[in-house]
Amino acid sequence: MTEIKNKLPTVANLSATDRETIETGLRRGANRREVMSWLIAAGASIAAAGSIVTSAGEALAATPKKGGRIKFASDLHGPSDTLDPGLNTSTIDYTRGRSFYNSLCQINDDLSTRPELAEEFSANADNSEWTFKIRKDVKFHDGSPLTADDVIYSMSRHYGEKSTSTAKTLVADVKEWKKVDSHTVKAIMQGPNADLPVILGTPQFKIIKDGTTEFQTANGTGPFTLKEFSPGVRSIGVRNKHYWREGANVDEIEITAITDKVARTSALLSGDIDLMQALDPKAIKKVEGTSGVGVWSVASGAYFGICAMTHTAPGNNPDFVKALQYIQRRKKIIKSVLKGQGTVGNDNPINVAYGADHCADMVVKEHDLDKAKFHLKKSGVTVAELNVAEVAPGITDTCLLAQREAKKIGLDLQIKKVPNDGYWGAVWMKTPLNVVSWNMRPSANVMLNLAFAPDAPWNDTLWKNERFGKMLVEVRGVTDAAKRAEMYCEMQKMISEGTDEFPGSGMIIPAHRNYVDGKSDKVEGISRMPLGSLGGYEWPEFCWRTDA
Amino acid sequence: MQRMVFQRILIGIVTLWVVSVLVFLMTNALPGDVAQIVLGQSATPESLAAYRAERGLDQPLLFQYFGWLGDMLTGNLGTSKAGGATISSLIAGRLGNTMFLAALVAVISVPLSVALGLLAAMYPGTWIDRALTFGTLALISVPDFFIATFAVLFLAVNLGWLPAIANVAPENTFWEMARGIAMPLIVLVIVVAAQMIRMTRAGILNVMNSPYIEMAILKGVRRKRIILRHAFFNTIGPIVNVIALNLAYLVSGVVIVETIFSYPGLAKLMIDGVQTRDLPLVQACAMIFCGTYVVLIILADVAAILANPRLRNPK
Amino acid sequence: MTDTTQSEMTDNDQEKTIYDELPDAPPKKTLKLTWTGKLGVVVVAFWVIMAVIGPWVAPYDQAEILDMDSYLPPGAEIDGGGTHWLGSDKNERDILSRIMWGARMTVGISFIATLLAYMLGVTAGIAAAVKKGWTDMILSRINDAILSLPTIMLGLLIVVALGSSIPILIFTAAVIYASSVYRIARAYGQEIMVMDYVESAQARGETIWWIIFREVLPNAAMPLATDFGLRLVFVVLFISSLSFLGLGIQPPNADWGSMVRGNLEAMQFAEGFGAWAPIWPALAIASFTIAINLIVDDISAKSGGDLAKKMI
Repeated sequence: MTEIKNKLPTVANLSATDRETIETGLRRGANRREVMSWLIAAGASIAAAGSIVTSAGEALAATPKKGGRIKFASDLHGPSDTLDPGLNTSTIDYTRGRSFYNSLCQINDDLSTRPELAEEFSANADNSEWTFKIRKDVKFHDGSPLTADDVIYSMSRHYGEKSTSTAKTLVADVKEWKKVDSHTVKAIMQGPNADLPVILGTPQFKIIKDGTTEFQTANGTGPFTLKEFSPGVRSIGVRNKHYWREGANVDEIEITAITDKVARTSALLSGDIDLMQALDPKAIKKVEGTSGVGVWSVASGAYFGICAMTHTAPGNNPDFVKALQYIQRRKKIIKSVLKGQGTVGNDNPINVAYGADHCADMVVKEHDLDKAKFHLKKSGVTVAELNVAEVAPGITDTCLLAQREAKKIGLDLQIKKVPNDGYWGAVWMKTPLNVVSWNMRPSANVMLNLAFAPDAPWNDTLWKNERFGKMLVEVRGVTDAAKRAEMYCEMQKMISEGTDEFPGSGMIIPAHRNYVDGKSDKVEGISRMPLGSLGGYEWPEFCWRTDA
Repeated sequence: MQRMVFQRILIGIVTLWVVSVLVFLMTNALPGDVAQIVLGQSATPESLAAYRAERGLDQPLLFQYFGWLGDMLTGNLGTSKAGGATISSLIAGRLGNTMFLAALVAVISVPLSVALGLLAAMYPGTWIDRALTFGTLALISVPDFFIATFAVLFLAVNLGWLPAIANVAPENTFWEMARGIAMPLIVLVIVVAAQMIRMTRAGILNVMNSPYIEMAILKGVRRKRIILRHAFFNTIGPIVNVIALNLAYLVSGVVIVETIFSYPGLAKLMIDGVQTRDLPLVQACAMIFCGTYVVLIILADVAAILANPRLRNPK
Repeated sequence: MTDTTQSEMTDNDQEKTIYDELPDAPPKKTLKLTWTGKLGVVVVAFWVIMAVIGPWVAPYDQAEILDMDSYLPPGAEIDGGGTHWLGSDKNERDILSRIMWGARMTVGISFIATLLAYMLGVTAGIAAAVKKGWTDMILSRINDAILSLPTIMLGLLIVVALGSSIPILIFTAAVIYASSVYRIARAYGQEIMVMDYVESAQARGETIWWIIFREVLPNAAMPLATDFGLRLVFVVLFISSLSFLGLGIQPPNADWGSMVRGNLEAMQFAEGFGAWAPIWPALAIASFTIAINLIVDDISAKSGGDLAKKMI
């Protein structure tokens, strides 16, 4: 960072967080004077502040260059790599999905939606019927035109007994997908749901050709055509010359994975890759101090936590759960484990990233050993076994921290480290105390519906609160903002705190983590959509090389 | 001799079968199945059932095993239960990569370590011997992921001489390939040579204790000559054994080096297979590893017999 | 060859005549340590003592999170008095304390597992060499099957199936490494079985057990001892490779191999000597394993070494 002394700083010299503040400010329409006043207030000289704002403005306004090649390394791949959108579960799959396919709707950085393959979509008055008008100028990679049949087929794969879709629960409330004409489809819902477009923007709902059962060639409509697909090795996409909109900026992308995080970071530092997923927060300082590379950090509602199953001991004892909640050193986790790349959690899955649906008037539980001791004593538990797999970066460290605090209140919290493979099938939701990690979902309703509804298949703690379930469905039809906020707030309190009669969900959520990724300074045009790594996997079509 | 080799091949086939049963049983004893792993956190009982039905995982275990065995015997390796690609397409490129790297490492490390082992044995207790002892021990006692990571940080990140990941894509030029493979090569030579050096030294010193060497010493034959002409040939049996085991390791056991350098080889593929419970894939890899091992051991035994006349006609 | 150690050793052995070691019987062995061997004994003794008393003399508990910062350099002060003599690890724990605690895990597990592997492997290997026939056939096939699969994969299979506890780790390592010991023991057994003195013993009508204990074992002991040292290193490394796959010793227990693995990242981004976090435990492993092998070298240098010296 010594070079800063010699010239005026630009936005590239700032830390990721500072840069984000400024760029977000500019994007939201803050004017130059406002941004400069923040910077000067933060201690920058007028000249430096001016220079920073100018460069930030340039970065936002620069026109993409065409050409070049981008190499992206994810954190996980293997023989289970798939080009079947319905089976996608990993970042590398989602990224491939965005490269070779399109969705009906696309999610913006602020989680609103815009049309993609649907040139327009609209709902009836109570959001219980959605109509999608499909673009007429779209061709699959094999040259055949996109029609309503393809959309109907793509959607049908998420229904029925034979469906292996990993996202079928998200669209379970669509009663029927109906073809209206050759380029119009209608979704008839069981009840009102304003979230359907944003759900259709999530990775699994990519549009494939009618009748496709074999996915090795990725015959989609996306910005790249598949040149090579070697599971566990790499995939290569070439720019789709017949794309229906402006199309990708780079000529070729290579999608691979480097599973070892130190090796992955090394490859970024040495310039062997241009983009990397999952940068260890501890390495941020090093990456920011190395010229030519930078950090891409996006705050989100993703979280990790400890699940105390509510149907069995010790989690069926609300006092035990409270004790675990009070021993959490939430700020310390943000500072030490996540190195600032996260926000404090309050045992509530919905944080500020979900906007208005977040309940702001709950008080965050502070680290309080006296309260913890009180609740532990009341619960009578002295020993508990916590099953931990590193399903999200930092979760093991968080549990080790909890273990030390537990010792101070007289709880012997034994940590049993279990392998990641097989974790979801054999440990999660099966052992009394385990850990979980969730990506952010496009709306509070979707998130709560997936993991907290009484009948949700992935209800982490088997928490059955019928009233909560009823409210969750009811709120979808509420259009009055105040009423809606009030309902969401009550639901979040049910989860986080509970009442004497209806205990909380048994979830201990100490932190929400940012998506922290690494990128070469030569790559621009990456979005900040908070639903996944590197701006929600949206980059393949929009990023570009400054040196192209 | 020919009969013996023929016998050993038959035995090798038995070994292959034993391995296939072992791998089948062990993989099935692991918690979770391929459907649970692939669908992961997003699994529901219905989607699990659908996945199992789609991939034939709902059939009885024995049925699955014999189905695999039958396909295997007709040369059909099947398809991956995890991703749906054919096993042969998954393996093809990686097999070449693995054999290429293993051969390169062997070509460098075997002569090097036998020579250094001989050198140490010729001058036991001297500074040459001590230096070799310390050097080899220091190198083998450090975990390979430490050496590999250190090499990446030093040679790729700090100096920028070599790429951090082993680029061996088919479109690369020879020079790119050479640069890409340099680091895994260096690390593996270090890892395997150390053990071979030590065993060569120990083997030779052991033979130096035999009566006929004593006779040769008493007759006044020069030491170098004794070691090179007499002791060495009598140590070949054990030494080729150690070499064979090390070569087998190079084919099947270099998971960590493959992981850190992102070198697409078979060892990592098999670990991935185990971690996704992808039985046909694990079986195919196991068959390749076991086959390699069997061939190498037969070669080692043949070499041992050729080198020691007394083993040719055991009484 | 005028190396000082060399001449010193030759002097020591001068009272012996070469006739002591003539072909009739296996040579008699009296162990004399060279300076490197003595160094080895000191280092091994140090770690064995540490394995016993480590937890009591370590400044902090192995799991104590000291709330300072991760990857502090050696000498960093700890609030409330105290110093990170070797710096702190990724979880803000004291590295020196963890190395002291880890001695118990690493030294203990590697010794027990290697000994167990040797008991299994040598017994089976020598039995196969001596008995030949079907015994050899069956033992060798089972052995081949285990040996032909990569150790890390076998480790993965066993540990994932049975769970990662210390007895299971020891058992896994012992079974896996017994198979390599078996091959070497069998190879040497076969070599020795065709040696003159064994043949003459057979001609004298000695029983098979007499041959094993009096002829085969003493003669195979030396190369097996060399291998013992290596095998021990491999067990230490094996356990650390399991930690590479996220298995191995359960946290927060310290063992040197997983300390190297867990703190490896420090080499990439920690500042100053904080980056040495993985190097300290690696040095502990190296010192222990090198020391073992130095002792082993002296043991094995005894027979062959003596003769070699006379040739100068």
